Amino acid sequence: MLHLLKIDLKKLIDYRTFWIIGGLYFLTLIAGAASGMEFLKWLSDTVEGFGQKINITRIPLYHFPDIWQNLAWCGGLLKMGLAILVVISITNEFTYRTVRQNIIDGLSREQFLLSKIFTNVLLSFLSMAGLFLIAVVTGMIYSPEFEFPFSLTGIEFYPAYFLEVFAFLSFALMLGTLIQRSGLTIILLLNAYLIELIIKKNIDNYFPDSIPFFPLESIMNLVPLPFARYAFQEIRDYVTFGSVAIALVWTVLFNYFAYLKLKKSDI
Amino acid sequence: METVLSTHQLTKNFGRLCAVNHLDLEVKRGQVFGMLGPNGSGKTTTLGMLMGVTNPTFGNFSWFGQTPTHVLRKKIGAVLEHPIFYPYLSGRKNLELMALIKEAPLTNVQKVLELVELAGRQEDKYKTYSLGMKQRLAIASALLNDPIVLILDEPTNGLDPMGIAEIREIIKRIAADGKTIILASHLLDEVQKVCSHFAILRKGNLVHSGPVDDVGKGEETVEIMAFHDDLALLLESFAGAVSVKKEPHQYVVKMKEGFHSQELNRYLFDKGIVATHLVTQKKSLEKQFLEILAEADHAALVKN
Repeated sequence: MLHLLKIDLKKLIDYRTFWIIGGLYFLTLIAGAASGMEFLKWLSDTVEGFGQKINITRIPLYHFPDIWQNLAWCGGLLKMGLAILVVISITNEFTYRTVRQNIIDGLSREQFLLSKIFTNVLLSFLSMAGLFLIAVVTGMIYSPEFEFPFSLTGIEFYPAYFLEVFAFLSFALMLGTLIQRSGLTIILLLNAYLIELIIKKNIDNYFPDSIPFFPLESIMNLVPLPFARYAFQEIRDYVTFGSVAIALVWTVLFNYFAYLKLKKSDI
Repeated sequence: METVLSTHQLTKNFGRLCAVNHLDLEVKRGQVFGMLGPNGSGKTTTLGMLMGVTNPTFGNFSWFGQTPTHVLRKKIGAVLEHPIFYPYLSGRKNLELMALIKEAPLTNVQKVLELVELAGRQEDKYKTYSLGMKQRLAIASALLNDPIVLILDEPTNGLDPMGIAEIREIIKRIAADGKTIILASHLLDEVQKVCSHFAILRKGNLVHSGPVDDVGKGEETVEIMAFHDDLALLLESFAGAVSVKKEPHQYVVKMKEGFHSQELNRYLFDKGIVATHLVTQKKSLEKQFLEILAEADHAALVKN
């Protein structure tokens, strides 16, 4: 397993595009997460200009334990950056035809796909670890107190975030394997949410129960939008078993479809 | 002799097109096996199936008497069609990656780079290489894991005469090491110069297979010229002549089996004629190839 991961990383480590997109992704993750407080300050300044006052310290954006879910949800918005990286990595193999040479050289088709999947696992893990680190640091800075174990409630959103990223990367890997052209795949990836939204909106009057089972919906459902709680609305501030199960099934299916395509085609 | 490769009724259809049709081949250890055929005769498709990238429609094959697996492929060095590498990696990094896949020792990388004389450019990106360098890197990659079998598909395609000579030298050197080589080419000259055995494919069918040494056996053809007015008549009355053809500066005599140029020479001499030009035409693989293809075409016509 480590051997396969090493093979795929060897392809990426000297690839400048990989570092540019990957670097931008992690930079955005850090900058985005760190700028929430600045945003609140800006908001209060603007409102103050109209003679109103918000006490920003009363919005516990970065307070333990709110910060876990808040950041996990925001981080989820950025996973498209990583997905584009994955699409480029897999479609390159088809445009350069290197997948063909890899197999001639002695990888099996399963191993080739596994090497890509392991990289996805690694990227998802790094993403989760990075976000967790950001959460801990910003939490320390802005949180008035740390109370064990209360402050850790909602920390399970990090494994959920990991699954969210990994599921989406699996989706990107599948699309890349099926389409094999980077431009077309990225366009479809960017539009996938909208396409799913149109379908959902057209059937939710007839089959409202089916909505959570849609693939991208199930991925988004892992970490629900937390901010409504600051407008005194009820939100789900825990991970449900059902959402994990559905997302897991889709993740397995995405990778399986990619496998089927690779297995059957002449490369 | 140990069988390295045998295919049994190997077939590949692309839709309605039959690219390879019930192919039976056998390659023994130590052979330099040439696969000949016009463009589109199914050579690359066959090699693709043997290397696991093209799924056969029907039939099977075995390497070293075993069912093919990806592990066996690690001990086969193969370059199909044009060289394939990661353009953004240096030649060296590309080979290191392949060594990782083939589970070959990393020290081999330097060795093969030197063998194909690319050590000086190893740190440059692959995309900056000339075609000849790309082909040489491909051969280096095929040699990386000390392969038992080497598969080369049109290794001299698009090279200048010097590049062709270089590649030919490399192939001969490798063959001298006792490695089995399968060489697909449409350059007959190439095959005749380096191969010990050959097979001819035509539209996916095997039309001939045998040792290269057999080429040129059989009836001889002799070019002859002498200053004599009735030379044509005399030649036709020679007991060993099948036919006599007049060409601008010479006569071409097709001989019966068992007759050679020396008998013709003696016959003329006995008649008091001294030849000014006497050459035994060596039958080239090219000629044989065209003959075999023509025969196959004819057979196909008759069948239809």
